[in-house]
Amino acid sequence: MRVIFRINRPLLEEVRRDLDRPHEFAFERVGFLFCRFGALRCGGLVVLARDFMTVADGDYIDDDRFGAVIGAGAFRRALERTLTDALGIFHVHMHAHRGMPSPSQIDLRETTRFVPDFFHVQGALPHGALILSRDAISGRVWLSERASPMSVTATMVVGAPLVLGRTNL
Amino acid sequence: MSERSTRQSFLGESSDATLGALRVGIVGLGGGGSHVAQQLAHVGVGNYVLVDPDRIESSNLNRLVGGTVADLKVRRWKTTIAARQIRRVLPRARIVEIKEEWQGAAESFRDCDLVLGCLDSFAGRRELEEAARRFLIPYIDVGMDVIKAAGRYAIVGQIALSMPGRPCLRCLGVVRDTDVAAEAQAYGAAGGKPQVVWPNGLLASVAVGLAVQLVCPWHEGRNDMVLLEYDGNVNTVAVSSVLGDVAHDCPHFTEVARLGDPWFSVADVHS
Repeated sequence: MRVIFRINRPLLEEVRRDLDRPHEFAFERVGFLFCRFGALRCGGLVVLARDFMTVADGDYIDDDRFGAVIGAGAFRRALERTLTDALGIFHVHMHAHRGMPSPSQIDLRETTRFVPDFFHVQGALPHGALILSRDAISGRVWLSERASPMSVTATMVVGAPLVLGRTNL
Repeated sequence: MSERSTRQSFLGESSDATLGALRVGIVGLGGGGSHVAQQLAHVGVGNYVLVDPDRIESSNLNRLVGGTVADLKVRRWKTTIAARQIRRVLPRARIVEIKEEWQGAAESFRDCDLVLGCLDSFAGRRELEEAARRFLIPYIDVGMDVIKAAGRYAIVGQIALSMPGRPCLRCLGVVRDTDVAAEAQAYGAAGGKPQVVWPNGLLASVAVGLAVQLVCPWHEGRNDMVLLEYDGNVNTVAVSSVLGDVAHDCPHFTEVARLGDPWFSVADVHS
C-alpha cells in the first residue's frame, strides 16, 4: 500500500531545530507531529504534517537504557490535541546522520508498544512514528490498534526545491 | 544516467530516477496542456494524471499539439491524444486518464507531486489551487488571453507558482474576486476565449522549465514565489513587478486549518 508523507519545509526545519537541541541528560529528543489525511484512489494514504509539539525539558525521565524516555504528561498533552482538533499523532525523533534512517530494535519495539495506545483516545484517524535524519525521513503508520503498521513509501518536503523521497522500506 | 538523457545531464546525476518517479497532474489538455504533456514526456517524467472532460473539436486544431484530422473524425478525447503523445516519446509512462471535470475525480490528484493547470476559467483555477494546497501539492498555473483595448489586440499570459505556505494566485493578482464574479455574471454568454498555438507553446515551455527546476534544480535562484508575465506583442517574458509588493506569507490559505480530506476516515483507506 502506498503511504505518502508530506511536510512543508519551514515546519520540517522547526522540527529538526527542536530535536537537535541538547538535553541535560537525555541522549536525544522526541516530539509529536500532528497530521491530517486523505485516502488515495487505489487504497493508499497521504499523511499531511500540520504542526509540531515539542516535549518540554522537564517531561524527560532520566533512564540511560534508552536515548529518550518521556513521562505520561507529555503523552497526555499530545493526545488531548488529537481529540480537540481531530488530528493523527506521530511520534518523531532524529538520527543524526545523512541518508535514510532505519529504526533500531528499540525504536521498533517501543513504538509498537505505545502507538497503538493512541487509538484509545483518537480511534478514527491513523497514528504513527517518524524518524528524521539530516536529509531524509522514514516512518510507520498504524490504521488501527490491532493492525500491523505500514511503512511510509514516499516523502515530499514541500518547498523549492521539492525534495522527493521514495523509501520503499 | 541513460543515453537519452545525456544532453540534460546538467539536471543532476539522479535526475533520471527523480523524473521517472515523478507523478504530475495536468488539468486541461487543450492548447497549453498538450504542450506541457509532450514536453514533460521528452524530459522523462514517468507518471501522469491527465484530466480533461472534452473531446477534440475542429476549433482545437489550430493549437492542440498532437491533434489530427483523424482524431477529429472520431472525436477523440483530449486526454487520449495527450496520452498517445506521451507514449510515443516514453512508452513505459504510467498514465491515468480522467475524462471528466477534475472535481469529479479529485482523489486522483492526491498522490501527484505537482499539478499544472491550463484552465480558462478563473473560478476553476481558484478551485484547483485550493484542492492542491489542501494536499500540500505545488500548483503551476498557466494562462493566456488576447485582449482588445483601444481597438488593438494584445496577447498576454502568465505562469504562476502556487507553493503551499507561500503566496497564492490571489496574492499574486492572477485570480481576483472581481474576475471570478464577472465570469459568473457572463456564464454561458461568451464563446471560447481566443487561443493560439505560439503563446500556448511558449508559456507551456516556461512552465515545464519551472517544474523541472523544482525537482531537479540546476541553479540556486529562489523559486518558491514565481510570477512571470508574457507580453506577446513585444515577445517578452519577465518577472512580474507585482512580486515586490506581495507578502511572503499567504493570508488567503491557512493550510493548518484546511489540510486534508475533512471527511477522512480510516475506513476510506481499506476500501
